[in-house]
This record gives sequence, structure tokens and C-alpha cells, in this order.
Amino acid sequence: MDIRVDKDACVGCGLCVKDCPMHVYELQEKVSVPVRPNNCMGCLSCHEICPAQALEHRGIYAAKRHYIDIKVCEMLRKVV
Amino acid sequence: MSAGYIDELHEAFHSDLVYRPEEIPLECSPRPKEMEQTLHGVMKLNGLVIRSLEEIAGRGANAVTYRAGKKFGHEVAKYFQKREDVEGALHELSDLLRGQYSFEVWKPEDKETFIIEENGETFIYLVFHDCIVRQTLRRNGLDQGGPLCQTLFGYVVGAIEEITGRKAKLEIVHTGPNACLKKLVLK
Ligand code: SF4
Ligand code: SF4
Repeated sequence: MDIRVDKDACVGCGLCVKDCPMHVYELQEKVSVPVRPNNCMGCLSCHEICPAQALEHRGIYAAKRHYIDIKVCEMLRKVV
Repeated sequence: MSAGYIDELHEAFHSDLVYRPEEIPLECSPRPKEMEQTLHGVMKLNGLVIRSLEEIAGRGANAVTYRAGKKFGHEVAKYFQKREDVEGALHELSDLLRGQYSFEVWKPEDKETFIIEENGETFIYLVFHDCIVRQTLRRNGLDQGGPLCQTLFGYVVGAIEEITGRKAKLEIVHTGPNACLKKLVLK
């Protein structure tokens, strides 16, 4: 798995370090570093928890997301 | 109710289609793309049923849904080929779940084999990628790992038991928005 952290965006909160069940990340000089990327199983919990949206996974399998209500999203897009 | 409204309703349910009996339908109607509203309705309904079950039965809800799932797993897998090897059983299982769930056998970097022996337990990690339960829960803003997940658990355990003739157990290791890690413990 190719995991990238946007060093400029990362605020060093360590939430991804705590949340990742596979201990993929470590904080090094207040920035998250994916030290064990091959242990990642692609759950994307880290994406959901990162307040800075600093994470990027490449080569991941994206699960089906039929739950997204397109109509609601379209409406939201008009106001946000 | 005005006559105009009634006419409008009749109009909506009228077509010039010639409908003949068909023995083996080869496509579903309406087309899957047009079923989005139906899908959302089903997800919403399932979510509400589970939420109510939890409110009334509390922690007992998990036992009910697990049992229902297990029965379903046994029932469906009855018609599948029996095999003793776990690898073959998982293969059968992925065929069984196709379209609703997809999973792969997974191992952490430091493990040599997919069948792991640790603290007197023999288990296999399964990563569930596509999952209709996860989608339903997210559609309804419900937590993962609750009673609806237990139906899937029961289903997998029931099917594995039926195919291999061995007792099995499934544990949640982690739930995420894109995939969930589970541990299939073999007895
Ligand atoms: S996707 Fe899941 S396993 Fe992978 S790094 Fe993020 S939290 Fe860890
Ligand atoms: S959760 Fe995001 S901001 Fe916080 S340490 Fe991890 S990458 Fe950085």
C-alpha cells in the first residue's frame, strides 16, 4: 500500500496513530509517518478521523457506497 | 380528491406495454440504476428495524440477529459442496456472498502464513470490503459492530460450519468506513 501524508497539512494531533488498528503510523517530529504501510488493510478509519484531511492511500480497493444519497448531496453542494 | 388527480394517477400506472409470461427472466426490471430510491428505502427500513430491536431487546438484540444469520448461513450453504479444507470453504463462501459482500484473506506483514496460530487459537483474518450491512448502517447513521453486523457474523459462521462440518467463530477486530477486519476462529 502506498500511503502519503501531506506534511504541510498534518497538524500532528496523532489521531491516526491512535486509531489505526494495524499501527501503520508513528508521529515523528510532530508529523505522522506511515512506518508500516504494508500492514494497512484499507479500512480508511484514518481518513475519517484526520481533521486535516492530510492522508492519501494509493492502490486501495474502494468499497461500494450505495448509501450516498445523491439528491441530498446535490442539494448540499448548492449551499456549501 | 379531484378527478384531475385521479386521472393523473391512472396515467402514471398505464402503459402500452405488451406483457407476456416468461419462464426464465433474464433481466430485472426496473434497471438497477432506477432502483436507487428502492435501495435507499430498504436500507432505511432495515436501519429502523434494527434500531427498534435494540431499543426493545437491549443487548439481547445481538443474540437474536446472530441466530437469525446463523440459521440463514446453514440454510443457504446446505446446497453447496461439502469440503474439509478451510481454503476451499472460503472459496465457496465468497461465491455465496457475491454481490452483497466481498472479502479477502489477509495477514499482517510479520505473519508467514494466512492460517495463524496464536495463544492456542487457530484463526484466519478476513478483510470485508463490500458489505451491504455497512452501507445500511452508514445510511442510517448507526454504529458498526451492532446487531445488524451480527447477522453477517452468524451468516458466515453458519455457512462455514455447514461447508466444513467444523465449529467456527467470527470476531470483529476493527470496523472502518471502507473495510472491516474480522478474525475467523477455527475450532
Ligand atoms: S486504512 Fe485502516 S489500516 Fe490502513 S492506515 Fe488507515 S486506519 Fe490503518
Ligand atoms: S490524524 Fe491527520 S493531522 Fe492528525 S497526525 Fe494523523 S495525519 Fe496528522
